[in-house]
Amino acid sequence: MWQTNLKILLTVLGTLGLFTLVANSIPQIASEVPEELSFSGNVSPEQLAAAGEQLFNGAGSCAACHSLGTRAPSLLTDHAGEGTIGQRCGTRVSGEDCKAYLHQSLVEPTAYVVPGFDPMVFQARTFSAAQIWSLVAFLESQGGEVTVTGNDIGASADAAPAAGGVAMTAAPASQTMDPKQLLQDNLCLGCHVLDGAGPPLGPSFDGIGSQRTADQIRSGIVDPNATAPPGYEAVKGVMPTTFGQSLTAAQLEAVVSYLAARK
Amino acid sequence: MSVIAAVLQQAAAGAEGMVSVRMYGGFPGPGPRVAIWIAAQVHLLFAAFVLGVPMFAVVAEAIGIFGKEEKYDKLAKEFTRLLLVSYSATAIWGAVLAFGLITLYPGVWNYLAEVFAPSMWAYVSLFFFESFTLYLYYYGWERWHDGRAKIVHWTLGILLNVFGTTVMFIANSWLTFMMSPPAEVTPDTSPGMVKFWSAFANATWMPINIHRVIANVVFGGAIVGAYAAYRFLTARTDEERAHYDWMGYVGNTIAIGALIVLPFAGYYLGREIYEFNQQMGITMMGGFMSWLWIIQAFLIGVLFLAGNYYLWVGMGRIPGAERFQSYTKYMLVILVIGVIVWATPHTMIANREELSAMGGAHHPFLGVLGVMSAKNTAVNIMILTTFLSFLLYRRANKRAVVSWARTGTMIQGAIFALAAVVVLFYGVYGYFVTAIVRIGFSVYQVLAVLFTIVAVTAIDIRMMKGAESYGTIKWGQMPPRSQYALFILAVTFTWLMGLMGFARSGIRQHWHIWEVMRDTSEYAATPPLGYAAQIISVCVLIFLTLVAFIFWVGGLAEKPILTHPRQDPLPPADPRLAPAPAGD
Repeated sequence: MWQTNLKILLTVLGTLGLFTLVANSIPQIASEVPEELSFSGNVSPEQLAAAGEQLFNGAGSCAACHSLGTRAPSLLTDHAGEGTIGQRCGTRVSGEDCKAYLHQSLVEPTAYVVPGFDPMVFQARTFSAAQIWSLVAFLESQGGEVTVTGNDIGASADAAPAAGGVAMTAAPASQTMDPKQLLQDNLCLGCHVLDGAGPPLGPSFDGIGSQRTADQIRSGIVDPNATAPPGYEAVKGVMPTTFGQSLTAAQLEAVVSYLAARK
Repeated sequence: MSVIAAVLQQAAAGAEGMVSVRMYGGFPGPGPRVAIWIAAQVHLLFAAFVLGVPMFAVVAEAIGIFGKEEKYDKLAKEFTRLLLVSYSATAIWGAVLAFGLITLYPGVWNYLAEVFAPSMWAYVSLFFFESFTLYLYYYGWERWHDGRAKIVHWTLGILLNVFGTTVMFIANSWLTFMMSPPAEVTPDTSPGMVKFWSAFANATWMPINIHRVIANVVFGGAIVGAYAAYRFLTARTDEERAHYDWMGYVGNTIAIGALIVLPFAGYYLGREIYEFNQQMGITMMGGFMSWLWIIQAFLIGVLFLAGNYYLWVGMGRIPGAERFQSYTKYMLVILVIGVIVWATPHTMIANREELSAMGGAHHPFLGVLGVMSAKNTAVNIMILTTFLSFLLYRRANKRAVVSWARTGTMIQGAIFALAAVVVLFYGVYGYFVTAIVRIGFSVYQVLAVLFTIVAVTAIDIRMMKGAESYGTIKWGQMPPRSQYALFILAVTFTWLMGLMGFARSGIRQHWHIWEVMRDTSEYAATPPLGYAAQIISVCVLIFLTLVAFIFWVGGLAEKPILTHPRQDPLPPADPRLAPAPAGD
């Protein structure tokens, strides 16, 4: 009996060992988390390209398609006799220099689709401006000159905050006049209950019209730290103070009217 | 959004002396990720077993009732006994997983609980009903053994499957939401604002449901096969050995039979992943996970070889099988070539140095064999070969007596040949067309194989009606080495489930919920395959050790099935529990 048990045990362990060995014998590739990049204004081209290379081969997953030349144009080697990406990027679109062409291709993959290939599936919104620009720098460095500077990153960052990051400011302005959409877009529902849903960190929007006047609601939005509603003293100072600037007057009034009507 | 909520909650709690909310907890040693990984994987393995086994237990019982064959009823009861002793282990590991999530990943847990609260209550309620249905089903076996009461008992078995499968579908919605949340859910969406049904019935929910139902049958069959193999090897009487030989055959037939259709469910799941998010699809098939499919091909190659080997060895106990035994060496060659082609890598991450070392974008040899045209052709030919093995096994001790037997056999041969030609033709033609056209070819290949399985089986059933027998199958007269093939099958299936679980979960990369909630812990990076393989092996070892222990404990408390007063003679030669592709 013990011999049978031993043989079974060895069969099981041998099979497990074989599979583990095989899996450890192949190239070991991890999926790294995209490193949050922070560059000063005088960052060097080499620093940018090095960060971009890391992203290209790692968390960006770019190499999965762009190093083979079958699913997407090869960027590291020659493509169609036009050279590497750094050599050909400046000639791809008339009037666009290399830097502009690469940046636009990344943030809007359908803008310039190379004939014979499908649009790229890269999702720029999951990467920060610094990460996008470092990729541009790396691609420029493949046979060309790196022209990306710290100013490019700064300009982009000012225009749009890094995607996916936690920002305690109002979201970029939208054109909608739908008050519920405005509450959603401006992250109000992250703290205030609406229709019975949401975390009750700030005063609930359900029934707020029976507790506050329209003026009080308006004041609470544009200058939330002036007074704290009873029971919410502990979170005074948490609500962003930027809604007076980010919302248009009409949007603000739409929100105020909507909330004041919730009795 | 939940990060913001957590930060604000912390601020509020700190000021008011309330309970603070944290995103992550610590776990000594390997860390929280490995702890959750092991808890989830072992729970899933037990759950797959207790969901898969009732499906064929209820089918076996039906054969026993409607076919009036008592041996199938006994087999169904023995299946259910295995189920009973595994059930509590499933619940225990489920609790370990739930408490692990609550304490180690409270941020994710809170988010999911807020979105899925109603379904969590439904889950618990159905789990309650499932448990008590199982107890009634097992403990009522002898009391409700005859007449109308037996039908009621069988209905309990069906109910058990309904409850169990629904419970799995509910849990699947939680994990598939993490993979494929609805498009309207963004990082800024409060979990309270997520619409329940759109989160529940997300893009990959149904594909995963279908894939898991079939995989559970495969897995259950494999574990039952291993159990039977152990009982065969340690049997004290010929009668016992014969019974467990037959049970092992049934387990293997279920596992391999269901495995044959599993790739089709896999295609469906893969297609839905691509449709949901191409980047996720590319990460899965061509990104950092590309080598995972090479390992998968290796494992499935082992499954095909071990499954066929078991059948070929088993022919030794069937009078008349010697007519076919000379064919096995050719089938072995075909299978080995198929495995080699399927396991040939093509798409892999290569840096500049590697590209120049290869002399271009493709390896000169791998570039030809490592493409989908070759792989699809290889796997379809392997499926056809395995089906042929089952067919020869099934016909081994039979001689058709119908007047059209020769014509029927020729038609069967022609169907096989035609399917092989179709598979090879589209395999070769695929090299000369664009990728999008080539992908469409795989449908023709699959249809040719499926048609062959259905048509040849249908002809065989008609043709073998009233067939003469060359002699009874000598159950129990099986070389012990054949039983080790069943152990290898069980270990490989279990390991494969761990590997595919890693693939499904790993393609989310550093997201708890894809593009909605980032993993901001120190364990956010997805580890390479070698590391994952070690964890998978640990999970498999834990599972198999516990299974061995609880089966042993279960055996202590149970009277052996074979000494039951209603015991029938040895099972005769006609195993009917085979799933459609392989049986009658």
